[in-house]
Amino acid sequence: MDSADVVACLNRWLVVASRGRGVANRVDSIEATGPYEVTITLHEPYSPLLALLAFSNSAAAIYPEEILADTIDEVVGTGPYRIKEHVPDQYLQLVRYENYISRNEPADGHSGARRQIPDEIRFIPVPDANTRLEGLLSGQFDFADQLNAESLSRIEQSDIAEPVILRPFSWPIFAVNHKKGLMTDKKIRRAVQAALPIDDMLFAAWGDEQFFVVDASLFPEGWVWDNEGGAELYNQNDSEKARALLEEAGYDGAPLRILTSRQYEYHFKMAEVAKLAFETSGFTVRMDVVDWATLGQRRDDPDLWDIYITHSPFLPEPALTTLWNVSARTGWGNPEKEAALAQFTAETDLAERQKLFTEMQRLNYEDVGFIKIGAFNALTGQRKGLTGVPPNPWPFFWNASIK
Amino acid sequence: MAAVVLIVLTVAFVIVRLAPGDPASLMLGPDATPEEAAELRARLGLDRPIAVQYFTFIANAVRGDLGDSLYFNQPVTKVLALRAEPTVFLALLSLIFALIVAVPIGIYAAYRRGSFFDQSAISAAMLAASVPSFWTGLIAQRWLATEYGWFPASGYGGPDADFLSRMAYLILPSFVLGIVNSALILRFTRASMLDVLGEDYIRTARSKGMGEARVVLRHALRNAGIPIITVVGLTLALLVSGAVVTERVFNIPGMGNLVVNAVLRRDYPVIQGTLIVVAVLYVLINLVSDLLYLLVDKRVRY
Repeated sequence: MDSADVVACLNRWLVVASRGRGVANRVDSIEATGPYEVTITLHEPYSPLLALLAFSNSAAAIYPEEILADTIDEVVGTGPYRIKEHVPDQYLQLVRYENYISRNEPADGHSGARRQIPDEIRFIPVPDANTRLEGLLSGQFDFADQLNAESLSRIEQSDIAEPVILRPFSWPIFAVNHKKGLMTDKKIRRAVQAALPIDDMLFAAWGDEQFFVVDASLFPEGWVWDNEGGAELYNQNDSEKARALLEEAGYDGAPLRILTSRQYEYHFKMAEVAKLAFETSGFTVRMDVVDWATLGQRRDDPDLWDIYITHSPFLPEPALTTLWNVSARTGWGNPEKEAALAQFTAETDLAERQKLFTEMQRLNYEDVGFIKIGAFNALTGQRKGLTGVPPNPWPFFWNASIK
Repeated sequence: MAAVVLIVLTVAFVIVRLAPGDPASLMLGPDATPEEAAELRARLGLDRPIAVQYFTFIANAVRGDLGDSLYFNQPVTKVLALRAEPTVFLALLSLIFALIVAVPIGIYAAYRRGSFFDQSAISAAMLAASVPSFWTGLIAQRWLATEYGWFPASGYGGPDADFLSRMAYLILPSFVLGIVNSALILRFTRASMLDVLGEDYIRTARSKGMGEARVVLRHALRNAGIPIITVVGLTLALLVSGAVVTERVFNIPGMGNLVVNAVLRRDYPVIQGTLIVVAVLYVLINLVSDLLYLLVDKRVRY
């Protein structure tokens, strides 16, 4: 493959992929400027572009130009392994791609050398967390993802497996409806924010302090985006303040509709605790507990909800979080935030971007654009002796080996 | 049978569409805009009037075309065919296990009515019927697979597994499923045998000096056969359609797991197809049961 394949794929990405479409209006051209060089020209500076292209959810995948079509049946990619067989819901079997040439740099996260150590990597979808655990502890699997926190002690006691805690994995979010309903009133949003007992919600959801972090910053400690902007408005747990804000807003007792699901049990548990806190503060609360498919449909209709609960891994670039965009389904369109976001995405100097992000975070707390509940860790289990699989929200196995 | 299938086709179509939820939003993921979801819905034909969708579905189903799975992008018949093997063999192995356990115990419990054995058998059957199969499955999986390593913990073998290897993956799940269903068969067998063992012709057979084994197994069991065949037939149908929990616990890629995933994904054609297959299966098993009555009891006429 060469630059022609990359150009064809990226041009297709701008048309067919959600994240590609989101950036398409900034792109002037994508051109091959050498056999292995591609130049992307933008109308305006857009600093998140490289992070966006590298982000796996963006799906800016590179295929041979000749297989591009509306749907690609036989996927050919650029990695060290090729698909031998994929039986949906049963397994995805990858085997070494013999002609792969690895980079020479040492492996570093997703970058650097990819050494093709296992002959075969097989991904087996196992929907039930307990079945994944038993598969790991019986030696059937070398790696098991997304295990329940209460499985930790069993894995610790195992002779053949060991636990790995990914710290932090993700952050739970109360997404706020800025388009219609109660939450379009800033005072009511501030009342919601004031009422939330974050510690209690996180404890109810995970039950073990090893698995959650009460932290105002939108990024974990040690990350370049970590800051304290607006932190004083986090975890207030102040029902009196919330009640006063509701009174100021002239709240008439209309139900605050929380849309959630038990697909992720911790969403539901957090919602239960929040409901009690809201009711103590004077809200009338209606919990709409539905399955994930229904939630996915209803959240697209701003008439049906005031808050819906979701979560996201920490993304390397703040602007990749769609909640910042006024075009997102939550529709947060504060002019100050729009200006800050525009500056942030146009700025390329990291130190300047950090300052701008601190201001964006402050604005998020001040205007209650969306509500970060905290951070949580993920429990993974792996066979003892497995190396080369660094903890990652999107794990990869090309450097894996088992002693 | 045609009327039953038509009713099932209609009910299946209506039920899946009564449930809220949108397959297009699920397929596109959280970053998709409502406009993109609407575009995909149009591509999948989900934006057409419901009456048009219904008549298209019925017309195609009559020709044996259950449509294409929204998720797998394959004909539903092909998807179901691939998933039928584990479910059918799980059901058959479970039934064999249940019959081996339940029928002899049921016969002997009836023969020794009121004895310690009889009371124990009834209690054990009550217990087996009361314990949910997911709990039995979790316990069996933890101890017999993980701790002792006697069985694979989950799955149905890898890409290279031959038939016997795949069957090895079904032993533990069929044991779990068989336990629950053996309770029903045991109680029916015992009750039927008790009815028959009190009949005059059994007393006559004994008075003629016939051996007990011959009296019980030849005269009594044969006449108690019709209710037992009925319950075995229904159990087999229940096993095929009701192995959802066991398939989930043991991650067996059968029709139960398929339909759960299809519901979660709102894969309407697969849900409809599975309901139709199960309905037809019920009808066929009942038909076979009726035909077996003829073999067991010559007095039966249709």
